Amino acid sequence: MLVIHYDSTFDGFLSVVFEIYRQHLDVGDIVPVRPYGAAQSVPTDLFLQPFRVESDEESARRLRRAILNLAGEDVFAVLDAAFRSEEPGVEMKIFAYLRKLFAGDVPAYARNPTSEEMLPLFCIARSVRREQGFMLGAVRFCKAPDGMYIAAVEPKYNVVDLLAPHFRSRFPNGRWAIVDMVRRYGICYENSRTQLVSVADPAAIAGIERADSVARMWKSYYDSMAIKERLNPELLRRCLPVRYWKHLPERQVDASSLVIGGRNSEKRGDNGLGGANLPSAVAQGRSLALPHNGM
Amino acid sequence: MDLREKLNILGDAAKYDVSCSSSGSSRCAPKGGFGSGCDAGICHTWAADGRCISLLKVLFSNACKYDCAYCVNRRSNDIPRATFTPKELIDLTMEFYRRNYIEGLFLSSAVVGSPDNTMELLVRVAKELRIVHHFGGYIHLKAIPGASARLLFEAGLYADRSSVNIEIPSDSALQYLAPEKNYESIYRPMNYLAERKIGYDSDHARHSPKFLPAGQSTQMIVGASGETDLQILRLSAGFYQQQQMKRVYFSGYVPINADKRLPAISSKPPLLREHRLYQADWLMRFYNFRHDEILDESNPNLDVDLDPKAMWALRHPEFFPVDLQTADYESILRVPGIGVKSARLIVSGRRFSRIRLETLKKMGVVLKRAKYFIYHPDTPASLRRLYPEMVRPFLVAKKRPEQLGLFDNFVPALPGALSR
Repeated sequence: MLVIHYDSTFDGFLSVVFEIYRQHLDVGDIVPVRPYGAAQSVPTDLFLQPFRVESDEESARRLRRAILNLAGEDVFAVLDAAFRSEEPGVEMKIFAYLRKLFAGDVPAYARNPTSEEMLPLFCIARSVRREQGFMLGAVRFCKAPDGMYIAAVEPKYNVVDLLAPHFRSRFPNGRWAIVDMVRRYGICYENSRTQLVSVADPAAIAGIERADSVARMWKSYYDSMAIKERLNPELLRRCLPVRYWKHLPERQVDASSLVIGGRNSEKRGDNGLGGANLPSAVAQGRSLALPHNGM
Repeated sequence: MDLREKLNILGDAAKYDVSCSSSGSSRCAPKGGFGSGCDAGICHTWAADGRCISLLKVLFSNACKYDCAYCVNRRSNDIPRATFTPKELIDLTMEFYRRNYIEGLFLSSAVVGSPDNTMELLVRVAKELRIVHHFGGYIHLKAIPGASARLLFEAGLYADRSSVNIEIPSDSALQYLAPEKNYESIYRPMNYLAERKIGYDSDHARHSPKFLPAGQSTQMIVGASGETDLQILRLSAGFYQQQQMKRVYFSGYVPINADKRLPAISSKPPLLREHRLYQADWLMRFYNFRHDEILDESNPNLDVDLDPKAMWALRHPEFFPVDLQTADYESILRVPGIGVKSARLIVSGRRFSRIRLETLKKMGVVLKRAKYFIYHPDTPASLRRLYPEMVRPFLVAKKRPEQLGLFDNFVPALPGALSR
């Protein structure tokens, strides 16, 4: 039995499945090796033999075509969305589905959304899409001194590159960037072109967030919109989970008031980059950027 | 007065308007400008009271000449008054929009001078945003009762949605609480806009301008006067059918003014009632319920303990249990605990395999409620009839256990000793 490691991209995963079929591999688990976070160190399994599969565009394309032919675009979109959840074990769930799909034993298997393998993927994909929709509203741009609008986000799932079409059609003449602070990459739109960029220094972006006077105006407007007689912290947390508050200017606590205290004000302290550093910090972030995919 | 202060005053004055949606318009970004509509609508944030904020909701001015009892901006209230200039408001909208704080502008106003005068100011802001600044974001304009047809028409050309608030669910109560208003003056702009919209919708020419692509909405205050839920639902059903309203909003009355004609200032806003009304509203809009199915003359009010769907189900035991394998979509939709998404999933999935209880659970169906109303092979034969009086206790939410106070039942040994 093998534990297969791959580079955590969807193409990489498709290559893994392709290789499994080509080499008749006996798979115990499929584990991504992520370039960020705690997952960087590859966990070793006592009983499974490690095996690395490199991402290969050609094999990914062949497998994608096979899935599209057998199951169609909708199913492929569900698999893609489920994969973006980055949940541990989601690779094996997708693989289980694909295995049954390619085996062809069950008639019309591809069209059944309630099959044992599809339903969990369907539900995962649903929550990924929900977050994608949520992020359309929760992105907060701030104006960098060079006129670019930059937003920092920390979504639970890997949805940032899915936001590009919406913002491209909304701000077709602007220059903007949305950066995923956890996964350390972003989308950058300039001169009517969208690019995926990797970000070397996320802290530089956090500095710009503070220096926007419009953000303060927005916060005071936001505060005045709440009806005191109807305060409902539980509902607020359900609609706007606390994990998103970090990058929303309206949910920041001013240093002077101590209503929520602790977490947010700490964050303020360590991001306190001076205004003078900002242009260079942004430039640095962008010059280190590696465009790796025209979109 | 600086802009921030103005914004706070005029935002604060607009917050009792509950309309928040930004849906129904899929405008593209105009050439040379920015901003677009998202058909599904986008919520941008939620205020501390849990209501969503998707539009910059402000009044143009809060210096009102009317004196409506329920309104915070009435003439006789002693509150700070402010008025925007069009430029301030436009700049603010664009700056906020650029930062993705908002989906667009919700502009209302207190009546300054004459209704026509006020409406003209609102239309001017919208027109300038659209034509001078090429702004493609969402604009919701209030139609001021009494404004002339020309201005209403112009508002329809620039705005995505328009609304006139009916305020109080009966004409007599409205005239009692707001002496300067009556149903006639409110219905006239509503009907005018609805008629024009129908005219534009039937015109499919490629270059004909859009007229209120997101339709109309209205709002009524619940709990300020003595209407029953049946009256409220009948009124809103009428709006959906006749005026082709997209939404009818309910706003639980928050006592802001001390007034003999209104509930005491210490009373709590009727939040649960408002919630139940919204649930009933959802049943009418997405679940194919008619308003007279939900309530009738013998039961004129919604059940506080039960949601309206469960209430209907318990009143119609002959309809249940529903067999998920064979029942049509509309009947499945009537099962408490099964929503639109689950019902669709069931209908598309049952062609391939049987729908079992564990499948339902994985779909996210609330089995706790649904299990009493569906038929499945595992149900014992004796339980294949619905006995409402037996099921009801299981559906009513249990009260949360409360921490007992140490001295709640404390009786002092010497009566009156403590107070002395």
